[in-house]
Amino acid sequence: MPFDVICIAVIGKTNNPLYIKNCSRNAAYPDLKCHYIAHTAIDLVEEKISTTKQADQYLGLLYALEELAVFGYITNTRVKFIIVTSLTDAAIKDQEMKALFRKIHNAYVALVSNPFWDPDAQRVISSPNFDRAIAQVAAGSSS
Amino acid sequence: MATAVLGHDDRRLVAEASLDFLVVEMVDLMHRSHAGETGETDREAAYFKLENLGYQLGMAMVERITKDRPRFLDNLDVVKFICKDFWIALFKKQIDNLKTNHRGVYVLTDNNFRWFSRMSGDGTSADISRQAFAHLAFPCGLIRGALGNLGVATVVSGEVTTIPHCTFQIKISKP
Repeated sequence: MPFDVICIAVIGKTNNPLYIKNCSRNAAYPDLKCHYIAHTAIDLVEEKISTTKQADQYLGLLYALEELAVFGYITNTRVKFIIVTSLTDAAIKDQEMKALFRKIHNAYVALVSNPFWDPDAQRVISSPNFDRAIAQVAAGSSS
Repeated sequence: MATAVLGHDDRRLVAEASLDFLVVEMVDLMHRSHAGETGETDREAAYFKLENLGYQLGMAMVERITKDRPRFLDNLDVVKFICKDFWIALFKKQIDNLKTNHRGVYVLTDNNFRWFSRMSGDGTSADISRQAFAHLAFPCGLIRGALGNLGVATVVSGEVTTIPHCTFQIKISKP
C-alpha cells in the first residue's frame, strides 16, 4: 500500500482516550501532535454520525491537515478508531482503509473478550496482544 | 452457543448439556456461598452477583456480535437486535413476543426459555416459579450489559409465571 500510517488512536465511548500510538519514524510528528489530531477528530466523528443517515461503521476521510489525512471508524458500541496517514499523490482507496480498520476492530474485540478486562474502568489499553496487532496494522500499510 | 454467530473463524463446538449444567451450577454456587446470611439479604446478594456476571458477559458478547453490523439508528432498533441476533447467539431462537408502550418500556416474552426447558420442580407452581426466578438474574444481566454497551442505559427485570415461559421487562432510564 502506498501510504504510511502516522498514528492510530482508539477513543472510548465517552470520548476518553483508550490508546494512542505514534507509528511514524519521523521526528516531525511528536506524540503531542498525535494527541492533538485524535482530539480534533472527535468533533468530526460526531458531526459525521449526526448528519449522515448512512449506517456504515466506516466513516471515511474526516479531514486533511497539512500533509496528513485523518480517517475515522465508529463501532456499534460508540468506540472510535482513528487512523492518520501521510498524504500521497495516489488516492487512498476506501477498501484498503476499511481492511485496516477491520483489523483494529478484530484486535479490539479480542481485547474486550478477555474476562479480566473491565469495560467501565476507562483505563488506557495496556495489552501486549493489542500492541502487536496495532504494530502489524501500521507495518502492513507501508510499502 | 452458536459460535458461528459470534464470528469465530475457527469454529469450536461445545457440548450443550455441559453448558446447561454449568449455568445451573453457577446459580446454585452463588446461592450456596451466601447461604450463611439471613433471610432475604442472602438471596439478594446472590442475585446481584449473578446479574453483574451477566452484565460483563453481555458487554463483551455484544462487541463481538455487532462487529459486522450496520450502526443502529434508534432504541427500538437496538431492542429488536436483542430479540433477534443476540437471543439467537445465546439460545438459538428468537424472542417470541415484543411489546412496547413507546415510552421506554419493552416487554420481551419467551414462551420456551431454553434454560427452563429441561427444568422441573417440587411443590406448587408458585414454589417452582420462585425457584426458577433465581435463574433469571444472569440472563437479565446479559440483556442489561448488551444494551448498556450499545449506549442504552436500562433496568431489566425478569418474571416467571409457569416454566418454561418467562418475560423480561426492559425499562430505559432517562439520561
